[in-house]
Amino acid sequence: MKAIGAYLGVVWQILRKDIRVEWRGRQGLPVMLMFALMIVFLFNFALQLAPDVQAGLTSGLLWVSLAFASTLGLNRSISLERENNALDGLLLAPVDRSAIFFGKTLGNFCFTTLVGLLLLPVFSLFYGQNLIRAPLLLVMLLGLAAYTSLGTLLSALSIQARTRDVLLPVLLYPLALPILIAAVEASRGVLAEQPLAEMSSWIYLLLAGTLIFNAAGLLFFETILEE
Amino acid sequence: MATITLPPELPRIDVHSLVKRYHRHPVLNQLSLTINSGDFCLLVGDNGAGKTTLLRILAGLVRPSQGAATLCGADALSNPLVRREIGYVGHQPMVYQDLSAYENLLHSARLYQLENSEERISQALQALGLAAQQHQPVRALSRGLLQRLSLARATLHQPSILLFDEPYTSLDQEAAGFLDRSLQNWHRPERIILLAAHRPQRLLSLASHVAWLKDGRIDAHIPVSALAGSPELNNYLREVT
Repeated sequence: MKAIGAYLGVVWQILRKDIRVEWRGRQGLPVMLMFALMIVFLFNFALQLAPDVQAGLTSGLLWVSLAFASTLGLNRSISLERENNALDGLLLAPVDRSAIFFGKTLGNFCFTTLVGLLLLPVFSLFYGQNLIRAPLLLVMLLGLAAYTSLGTLLSALSIQARTRDVLLPVLLYPLALPILIAAVEASRGVLAEQPLAEMSSWIYLLLAGTLIFNAAGLLFFETILEE
Repeated sequence: MATITLPPELPRIDVHSLVKRYHRHPVLNQLSLTINSGDFCLLVGDNGAGKTTLLRILAGLVRPSQGAATLCGADALSNPLVRREIGYVGHQPMVYQDLSAYENLLHSARLYQLENSEERISQALQALGLAAQQHQPVRALSRGLLQRLSLARATLHQPSILLFDEPYTSLDQEAAGFLDRSLQNWHRPERIILLAAHRPQRLLSLASHVAWLKDGRIDAHIPVSALAGSPELNNYLREVT
């Protein structure tokens, strides 16, 4: 029990540090939010679709905004550890290195979720649908949990590459495609007011993604960071 | 979490037949070295000789291609408890730009689960002459002050093995003199200091041993007092000054 407490303490410490750095620098969240809002505005004005067609696109646009904003956050999160080689400071600490993965993942998840929560009322306003619904929040949390855990793992993989800023989206988007499809389909089901049972397969896919990517982080994060 | 317990012995570094290749190019080649408790060993060698690679392997930041590098009988890569015994100063300060010096040290103290962390931080900041700048964001600190912060971070948990990689780089005379005095204070019988330096002349009066890294191996590892008996190393030290 003591070991688990110490492990969770390290996860919390990494998360707390990321929140504090963001609070001091304010370089991640505002950029993520601005970017997501730009997508909302651009699509709204560019497409000029009939309301019924627009309603069908809302879930897709929501997840495009979240995925792109989240990728910006992931890049920021890992560049933070690259500056001054701060990552080495974490790796030198006498802690199980998988705790660093979970701390970073949790930080990325919190920031992206915050952007998502701020986006929902904006989407509701521009796309004429109420997106502030408990089942949609559940889908968003599951989708972002899977997406940010995969993203954190891949950002660690790309940290030593010279083309790391380009490498992350190149690796992330194809691998995250099943997660994004499941999130879009489950969100569409929620907005069409389908019963949860009809969306269960998509929700199970999101759950499986979260579990698999976090298990991969637990097992491979340390190896990925080794030189 | 690892369940090993370190023996309550004095620290010791054992490197045996160590090989490290980058893209098939061997940087370290069958390197062997033993450093005992109380030694202050200068690691000297040309640029690219592998000093940084050796220190990073010892610190558990790099996995060797072959061979073994153990500290206190275990390797730092797989044993978190061994890392508890290491204080490492690298080329970069390993701190967060947007946090203050105090916040960076507090973060480090929490990762090391130190007791009385605030008191320790306060003492470290005082000892390293950073008390006046402790609440300034790190991005506002000069290179010399950053190096002091890096030293405070590396020694906050009172490690028994100090690994320093070119710590004098970019330091002015005053900061270099300050580092000399700090090294003198840290040099104790229950501690090891391994310091990589490209121009080590100023440290010969402080160190107890010199290890010469050449062609990926330790060419000579002798006490400073025996330098006169090793003309090749003596000449090398004169040339790099």
